[in-house]
Amino acid sequence: MQLLLAYIDPGSGSLLLQAILAGLLAIPFFFRRTIGGFVSRIRGDKADSSPSRNSGAPTSPADESERSEP
Amino acid sequence: MQESFAADWRAFLDGGLYRSLVDDGLLIEHEDAPLEHAALPGASAVIRPRELPLISYPYEWCFSQLREAALLTLELQRRALDAGMRLKDASAYNVQFDRGRPILIDSLSFEVADPEEPWPAYRQFCEHFLAPLALIAYRDPRLGLMLRDFIDGIPVDLAAALLPGRTRLRPGLLAHLHLHAGAQRRAQHAAPTAEHRPARRMSRLGQEALLDNLRRVVEGLRWKPHGHWVEYGITTSYTERGAASKREIVVRMLGSIEARTVWDLGANVGTYSTIAARGGRQVIAFDQDPNAVEHHWRSLDADARASVLPLVMDLANPSPGLGWALEERRSIVDRGPADVILALALVHHLAIGNNVPLDRLAAFFASLGRRAIVEFVPKEDPMGAHLLSSRRDVFPGYTLDGFRAAFGERFRIVEEAPIEDSLRTLFLLDAR
Repeated sequence: MQLLLAYIDPGSGSLLLQAILAGLLAIPFFFRRTIGGFVSRIRGDKADSSPSRNSGAPTSPADESERSEP
Repeated sequence: MQESFAADWRAFLDGGLYRSLVDDGLLIEHEDAPLEHAALPGASAVIRPRELPLISYPYEWCFSQLREAALLTLELQRRALDAGMRLKDASAYNVQFDRGRPILIDSLSFEVADPEEPWPAYRQFCEHFLAPLALIAYRDPRLGLMLRDFIDGIPVDLAAALLPGRTRLRPGLLAHLHLHAGAQRRAQHAAPTAEHRPARRMSRLGQEALLDNLRRVVEGLRWKPHGHWVEYGITTSYTERGAASKREIVVRMLGSIEARTVWDLGANVGTYSTIAARGGRQVIAFDQDPNAVEHHWRSLDADARASVLPLVMDLANPSPGLGWALEERRSIVDRGPADVILALALVHHLAIGNNVPLDRLAAFFASLGRRAIVEFVPKEDPMGAHLLSSRRDVFPGYTLDGFRAAFGERFRIVEEAPIEDSLRTLFLLDAR
């Protein structure tokens, strides 16, 4: 059994979980993005509307130090 | 770069992804190098990325540095998706801090992707970033050092076992660590047929949703440094006159030498790192306490980060060579030497606190820097006495003369300057 386990690709569980999570997360993500885009259009906001687009850049250290532990 | 990768490389360059990532400071730039520099025969291209002053490793980063590197990795994958490509690995070792900003240094990380294929680096992202960040945020900042043993990331089952039960109540950690560990376990038991299963598919929207969720989970992880460094910064053992004298001597000694790179050993929250960074010097500020390093990093603004990089390093047990043949990750000595090392209020900790004989200390310092500015703290000093208060004095050689003799073997003593209103002495040393 041990020998067999040594040859198993340990990544298949990660791929399966990822596919399931992606399916579950897609629905709220879609609504958030759609609603977010809608709201910013109403406001005439020219900034990028997608929730995932604004945040790749590292956050500034100042705002982190203000936060408390969860 | 091998021929098999040529199509991906062309797509990366011609599709504009390379240019946009470099222009936005997310990827290191490179120039083309002659083919004869290839490490292996059959290369289709050779590139020479811009060199950085120091390669640092994730087990030397504080919480916020690891978190910034994680967010960069997610942003790179998001942008790659937009360009019809993907980031094929999510290794924390592919990220470095360049003038204070996280940057990808592996230009060959991108490949053309089927838009419906799962992200192959998802597990690696969880192991390299999410697991250690969660362990620091929910258990202890010292657990960041686990990355030194687990150089391909902390396995999700181990992270799940070490995290407190309440992390199961955080949906992101439940999904990406706890359930992830369970999914791996089940896959292992069911596995003999794994190879013949049809490939998993996920929609483009699902891909974006997963990345967005990972970003939210990472951003939601918070940790506040704490500890005695706060008081240490305020209540040093110097009088006002003594502190001013020490600062004046260090500035003068630094000004008298040619130094581009400075390693500040035992930097604490970086008082002298800031001083050393003047005049365009690049400073690496080492301290063994992740709380102090975190505090130091947070206290630096973008300008200051461009010249000072705080890192976690216990000088009594510094980063060794690790990985295959001990060569995959280099020891701190192999990454040196610095033009000058600063060892201020440090020698007594190593010599008395850690029992390191002065001649060994001199030899180690000489391996780290071409020059050194070292502060000798005698036993009679309040801090020296404090270290000896809880132990027997077995250090007859620990005297100013003993210091001169031991360091004189490895260095030429250029200058010796007593600090006013204190029992301490500063030395400017040139390695022999």
